[in-house]
Amino acid sequence: MSANTAVSSKKKNSIVTSPKFRTFVLVFSLSAIVLYVLGILLGLASFTYHPATGRLEWGQTMPRRNEGPVMYWYGWILTAFIGASIMGFLATLIPETVTRRIPLALLWIIPLLTLPVFVNSLLPK
Amino acid sequence: MDFSIFDYISVTTFWSILFIVHALFAVTLLGALTHQAVSVLMPVRQPATANFVTRFRAVQGAGYATAICVLWVITFLLGAWIYIKYRVAIRIPLERAGFWKTQGFFDMKEHVVSVGLALLPAYWFLWKNKSPEYDHVRKWVTVLLAALCWFAFLVGHVVNNTRGFGS
Repeated sequence: MSANTAVSSKKKNSIVTSPKFRTFVLVFSLSAIVLYVLGILLGLASFTYHPATGRLEWGQTMPRRNEGPVMYWYGWILTAFIGASIMGFLATLIPETVTRRIPLALLWIIPLLTLPVFVNSLLPK
Repeated sequence: MDFSIFDYISVTTFWSILFIVHALFAVTLLGALTHQAVSVLMPVRQPATANFVTRFRAVQGAGYATAICVLWVITFLLGAWIYIKYRVAIRIPLERAGFWKTQGFFDMKEHVVSVGLALLPAYWFLWKNKSPEYDHVRKWVTVLLAALCWFAFLVGHVVNNTRGFGS
Protein backbone atom coordinates (compact mmCIF):
# COMPACT_ATOMS: atom_id res chain seq x y z
CA MET A 1 0.00 0.00 0.00
CA SER A 2 1.45 3.41 -0.96
CA ALA A 3 1.79 6.22 1.58
CA ASN A 4 -0.89 8.28 -0.21
CA THR A 5 -3.39 5.40 -0.14
CA ALA A 6 -2.71 4.82 3.54
CA VAL A 7 -3.30 8.52 4.36
CA SER A 8 -6.52 8.67 2.31
CA SER A 9 -7.82 5.46 3.91
CA LYS A 10 -7.04 6.84 7.39
CA LYS A 11 -8.92 10.08 6.55
CA LYS A 12 -11.97 8.10 5.36
CA ASN A 13 -11.94 6.00 8.53
CA SER A 14 -11.74 9.09 10.69
CA ILE A 15 -14.84 10.55 8.99
CA VAL A 16 -16.75 7.31 9.30
CA THR A 17 -15.97 6.90 12.99
CA SER A 18 -16.54 10.57 13.82
CA PRO A 19 -19.55 11.02 16.17
CA LYS A 20 -20.41 14.36 14.56
CA PHE A 21 -20.49 12.80 11.09
CA ARG A 22 -22.72 10.02 12.43
CA THR A 23 -25.09 12.59 13.92
CA PHE A 24 -25.12 14.68 10.74
CA VAL A 25 -25.93 11.82 8.34
CA LEU A 26 -28.59 10.29 10.59
CA VAL A 27 -30.36 13.59 11.21
CA PHE A 28 -29.94 14.66 7.57
CA SER A 29 -31.50 11.47 6.20
CA LEU A 30 -34.38 11.41 8.68
CA SER A 31 -35.21 15.10 8.37
CA ALA A 32 -34.92 15.14 4.57
CA ILE A 33 -37.61 12.46 4.37
CA VAL A 34 -39.90 14.18 6.88
CA LEU A 35 -39.41 17.60 5.25
CA TYR A 36 -40.08 16.15 1.81
CA VAL A 37 -43.41 14.75 3.01
CA LEU A 38 -44.26 18.03 4.74
CA GLY A 39 -43.33 19.91 1.57
CA ILE A 40 -45.88 17.92 -0.40
CA LEU A 41 -48.63 18.10 2.22
CA LEU A 42 -48.18 21.80 3.03
CA GLY A 43 -47.18 23.03 -0.45
CA LEU A 44 -43.65 24.09 0.53
CA ALA A 45 -41.81 23.82 -2.79
CA SER A 46 -38.92 26.30 -2.74
CA PHE A 47 -39.50 26.98 -6.44
CA THR A 48 -41.88 26.08 -9.24
CA TYR A 49 -40.79 25.09 -12.72
CA HIS A 50 -42.92 25.62 -15.82
CA PRO A 51 -41.56 22.97 -18.25
CA ALA A 52 -43.35 24.28 -21.35
CA THR A 53 -41.83 27.76 -21.07
CA GLY A 54 -38.76 27.12 -18.91
CA ARG A 55 -39.96 29.69 -16.36
CA LEU A 56 -38.74 29.40 -12.76
CA GLU A 57 -40.59 31.04 -9.90
CA TRP A 58 -39.80 31.15 -6.19
CA GLY A 59 -42.27 29.29 -3.99
CA GLN A 60 -45.10 26.94 -4.91
CA THR A 61 -47.17 28.84 -7.46
CA MET A 62 -50.21 27.99 -9.56
CA PRO A 63 -50.07 27.23 -13.31
CA ARG A 64 -50.27 30.33 -15.53
CA ARG A 65 -52.81 30.64 -18.32
CA ASN A 66 -51.49 29.23 -21.65
CA GLU A 67 -48.14 28.24 -20.09
CA GLY A 68 -48.84 24.54 -19.58
CA PRO A 69 -48.36 22.47 -16.44
CA VAL A 70 -46.16 23.26 -13.44
CA MET A 71 -43.64 21.04 -11.64
CA TYR A 72 -43.14 21.22 -7.88
CA TRP A 73 -41.02 18.08 -7.42
CA TYR A 74 -37.66 19.85 -7.83
CA GLY A 75 -38.78 22.51 -5.37
CA TRP A 76 -39.87 19.92 -2.78
CA ILE A 77 -36.49 18.19 -3.01
CA LEU A 78 -34.55 21.44 -2.67
CA THR A 79 -36.66 22.51 0.33
CA ALA A 80 -36.15 19.13 2.00
CA PHE A 81 -32.39 18.99 1.39
CA ILE A 82 -31.69 22.57 2.48
CA GLY A 83 -33.80 22.04 5.61
CA ALA A 84 -32.16 18.69 6.32
CA SER A 85 -28.66 20.17 5.94
CA ILE A 86 -29.54 22.85 8.50
CA MET A 87 -31.07 20.26 10.86
CA GLY A 88 -28.06 17.98 10.44
CA PHE A 89 -25.65 20.82 11.20
CA LEU A 90 -27.64 21.96 14.25
CA ALA A 91 -27.75 18.38 15.53
CA THR A 92 -23.94 18.24 15.52
CA LEU A 93 -23.98 21.06 18.09
CA ILE A 94 -26.00 18.92 20.51
CA PRO A 95 -24.04 16.71 22.94
CA GLU A 96 -23.42 13.20 21.64
CA THR A 97 -25.08 11.69 24.73
CA VAL A 98 -28.37 13.14 23.44
CA THR A 99 -27.97 12.33 19.73
CA ARG A 100 -26.96 8.74 20.56
CA ARG A 101 -30.52 8.25 21.79
CA ILE A 102 -31.95 8.64 18.27
CA PRO A 103 -33.23 5.13 17.45
CA LEU A 104 -31.42 3.83 14.37
CA ALA A 105 -34.48 1.82 13.36
CA LEU A 106 -36.13 5.11 12.36
CA LEU A 107 -34.00 4.94 9.22
CA TRP A 108 -36.21 2.20 7.79
CA ILE A 109 -39.40 2.81 9.81
CA ILE A 110 -39.89 6.45 8.71
CA PRO A 111 -39.55 5.69 4.97
CA LEU A 112 -42.08 2.89 5.35
CA LEU A 113 -44.49 5.21 7.17
CA THR A 114 -44.25 7.75 4.35
CA LEU A 115 -45.57 5.28 1.77
CA PRO A 116 -49.25 5.39 2.86
CA VAL A 117 -48.98 9.18 3.10
CA PHE A 118 -47.78 9.36 -0.50
CA VAL A 119 -50.53 7.00 -1.65
CA ASN A 120 -53.14 9.09 0.15
CA SER A 121 -51.79 12.30 -1.40
CA LEU A 122 -52.14 10.75 -4.88
CA LEU A 123 -55.70 9.49 -4.49
CA PRO A 124 -58.42 11.55 -6.18
CA LYS A 125 -59.99 14.02 -3.71
CA MET B 1 -20.05 28.83 -34.92
CA ASP B 2 -23.15 27.71 -33.08
CA PHE B 3 -23.30 24.02 -32.31
CA SER B 4 -26.61 22.36 -31.69
CA ILE B 5 -26.98 18.64 -31.17
CA PHE B 6 -30.37 18.91 -32.87
CA ASP B 7 -28.62 19.64 -36.19
CA TYR B 8 -27.57 15.98 -36.10
CA ILE B 9 -30.36 14.13 -34.29
CA SER B 10 -34.03 14.79 -33.80
CA VAL B 11 -35.46 15.98 -30.50
CA THR B 12 -37.20 12.62 -30.01
CA THR B 13 -33.96 10.74 -30.64
CA PHE B 14 -32.15 12.93 -28.12
CA TRP B 15 -34.68 12.21 -25.36
CA SER B 16 -34.81 8.51 -26.31
CA ILE B 17 -31.01 8.26 -25.98
CA LEU B 18 -31.16 10.00 -22.60
CA PHE B 19 -33.89 7.64 -21.48
CA ILE B 20 -31.89 4.58 -22.57
CA VAL B 21 -28.82 5.83 -20.68
CA HIS B 22 -31.03 6.43 -17.63
CA ALA B 23 -32.43 2.91 -17.94
CA LEU B 24 -28.96 1.38 -18.29
CA PHE B 25 -27.78 3.10 -15.11
CA ALA B 26 -30.99 1.91 -13.43
CA VAL B 27 -30.29 -1.69 -14.45
CA THR B 28 -26.75 -1.48 -13.07
CA LEU B 29 -28.03 0.02 -9.82
CA LEU B 30 -30.73 -2.61 -9.55
CA GLY B 31 -28.21 -5.42 -9.99
CA ALA B 32 -25.80 -4.00 -7.42
CA LEU B 33 -28.52 -3.32 -4.86
CA THR B 34 -30.11 -6.73 -5.34
CA HIS B 35 -26.74 -8.45 -4.83
CA GLN B 36 -26.13 -6.43 -1.69
CA ALA B 37 -29.64 -6.95 -0.28
CA VAL B 38 -29.46 -10.71 -0.82
CA SER B 39 -26.00 -10.80 0.78
CA VAL B 40 -27.38 -9.23 3.98
CA LEU B 41 -30.66 -11.16 4.02
CA MET B 42 -29.07 -14.55 3.39
CA PRO B 43 -25.38 -14.22 4.25
CA VAL B 44 -23.11 -17.07 3.20
CA ARG B 45 -21.40 -18.61 6.23
CA GLN B 46 -19.08 -20.87 4.25
CA PRO B 47 -17.00 -20.20 1.14
CA ALA B 48 -19.01 -20.10 -2.08
CA THR B 49 -19.50 -23.37 -3.88
CA ALA B 50 -20.34 -23.90 -7.54
CA ASN B 51 -24.01 -23.15 -6.75
CA PHE B 52 -25.15 -20.00 -8.60
CA VAL B 53 -27.47 -18.82 -5.81
CA THR B 54 -24.73 -19.19 -3.19
CA ARG B 55 -22.32 -17.22 -5.35
CA PHE B 56 -25.00 -14.54 -5.85
CA ARG B 57 -25.31 -14.23 -2.04
CA ALA B 58 -21.58 -14.34 -1.39
CA VAL B 59 -20.65 -10.81 -2.50
CA GLN B 60 -18.86 -8.43 -0.13
CA GLY B 61 -21.68 -5.93 0.39
CA ALA B 62 -19.48 -3.16 1.77
CA GLY B 63 -17.63 -2.94 -1.53
CA TYR B 64 -20.88 -2.00 -3.30
CA ALA B 65 -21.94 0.90 -1.05
CA THR B 66 -20.11 3.80 -2.69
CA ALA B 67 -20.90 2.55 -6.20
CA ILE B 68 -24.58 2.23 -5.28
CA CYS B 69 -24.66 5.81 -3.96
CA VAL B 70 -23.00 7.14 -7.12
CA LEU B 71 -25.30 5.09 -9.37
CA TRP B 72 -28.40 6.23 -7.47
CA VAL B 73 -27.39 9.90 -7.83
CA ILE B 74 -26.55 9.59 -11.55
CA THR B 75 -29.75 7.67 -12.29
CA PHE B 76 -31.72 10.20 -10.26
CA LEU B 77 -30.21 13.21 -12.05
CA LEU B 78 -30.82 11.70 -15.48
CA GLY B 79 -34.38 10.85 -14.45
CA ALA B 80 -34.90 14.39 -13.15
CA TRP B 81 -33.74 15.75 -16.51
CA ILE B 82 -35.97 13.43 -18.54
CA TYR B 83 -38.86 14.27 -16.23
CA ILE B 84 -39.09 17.75 -17.82
CA LYS B 85 -39.86 16.24 -21.21
CA TYR B 86 -42.09 13.56 -19.66
CA ARG B 87 -44.25 16.22 -17.99
CA VAL B 88 -45.10 17.86 -21.31
CA ALA B 89 -44.76 15.18 -23.99
CA ILE B 90 -45.85 12.03 -22.14
CA ARG B 91 -47.97 12.95 -19.17
CA ILE B 92 -50.40 15.27 -20.95
CA PRO B 93 -51.32 12.60 -23.57
CA LEU B 94 -51.61 10.05 -20.74
CA GLU B 95 -54.02 12.38 -18.92
CA ARG B 96 -56.06 12.85 -22.09
CA ALA B 97 -56.23 9.08 -22.55
CA GLY B 98 -57.31 8.59 -18.95
CA PHE B 99 -54.32 6.52 -17.75
CA TRP B 100 -54.77 7.75 -14.20
CA LYS B 101 -53.32 4.71 -12.43
CA THR B 102 -50.22 4.70 -14.64
CA GLN B 103 -49.67 8.36 -13.85
CA GLY B 104 -50.35 7.82 -10.16
CA PHE B 105 -47.73 5.07 -10.02
CA PHE B 106 -45.26 7.35 -11.79
CA ASP B 107 -45.89 10.08 -9.20
CA MET B 108 -45.34 7.45 -6.51
CA LYS B 109 -42.05 6.56 -8.21
CA GLU B 110 -40.85 10.16 -7.99
CA HIS B 111 -41.57 10.17 -4.23
CA VAL B 112 -39.95 6.78 -3.69
CA VAL B 113 -36.69 7.72 -5.45
CA SER B 114 -36.54 10.97 -3.49
CA VAL B 115 -36.84 9.03 -0.22
CA GLY B 116 -34.06 6.75 -1.46
CA LEU B 117 -31.88 9.74 -2.29
CA ALA B 118 -32.40 11.14 1.21
CA LEU B 119 -31.41 7.80 2.74
CA LEU B 120 -28.09 7.56 0.89
CA PRO B 121 -25.87 9.46 3.38
CA ALA B 122 -27.03 7.27 6.27
CA TYR B 123 -26.84 4.13 4.11
CA TRP B 124 -23.25 4.94 3.11
CA PHE B 125 -22.29 5.62 6.72
CA LEU B 126 -23.83 2.33 7.88
CA TRP B 127 -21.88 0.34 5.29
CA LYS B 128 -18.56 2.09 5.87
CA ASN B 129 -18.80 1.72 9.63
CA LYS B 130 -18.13 -1.86 10.63
CA SER B 131 -19.52 -1.55 14.17
CA PRO B 132 -21.90 -4.45 15.01
CA GLU B 133 -24.39 -1.96 16.50
CA TYR B 134 -25.30 -1.05 12.89
CA ASP B 135 -25.75 -4.60 11.58
CA HIS B 136 -29.52 -4.71 12.02
CA VAL B 137 -30.31 -1.25 10.63
CA ARG B 138 -27.77 -1.69 7.80
CA LYS B 139 -29.60 -4.82 6.71
CA TRP B 140 -33.07 -3.27 6.68
CA VAL B 141 -32.03 0.02 5.09
CA THR B 142 -30.34 -1.96 2.30
CA VAL B 143 -33.38 -4.18 1.78
CA LEU B 144 -35.63 -1.12 1.77
CA LEU B 145 -33.46 0.67 -0.81
CA ALA B 146 -33.47 -2.44 -3.00
CA ALA B 147 -37.28 -2.64 -2.76
CA LEU B 148 -37.62 1.06 -3.63
CA CYS B 149 -35.29 0.59 -6.58
CA TRP B 150 -37.26 -2.41 -7.88
CA PHE B 151 -40.51 -0.47 -7.59
CA ALA B 152 -39.07 2.55 -9.42
CA PHE B 153 -37.55 0.39 -12.13
CA LEU B 154 -40.74 -1.56 -12.82
CA VAL B 155 -42.94 1.54 -12.84
CA GLY B 156 -40.57 3.35 -15.19
CA HIS B 157 -40.59 0.33 -17.46
CA VAL B 158 -44.39 0.11 -17.52
CA VAL B 159 -44.81 3.85 -18.14
CA ASN B 160 -42.36 3.65 -21.03
CA ASN B 161 -44.36 0.73 -22.41
CA THR B 162 -47.56 2.73 -22.07
CA ARG B 163 -46.16 5.72 -23.90
CA GLY B 164 -42.48 6.16 -24.72
CA PHE B 165 -40.74 9.12 -26.33
CA GLY B 166 -41.71 9.46 -29.97
CA SER B 167 -44.84 7.30 -29.71
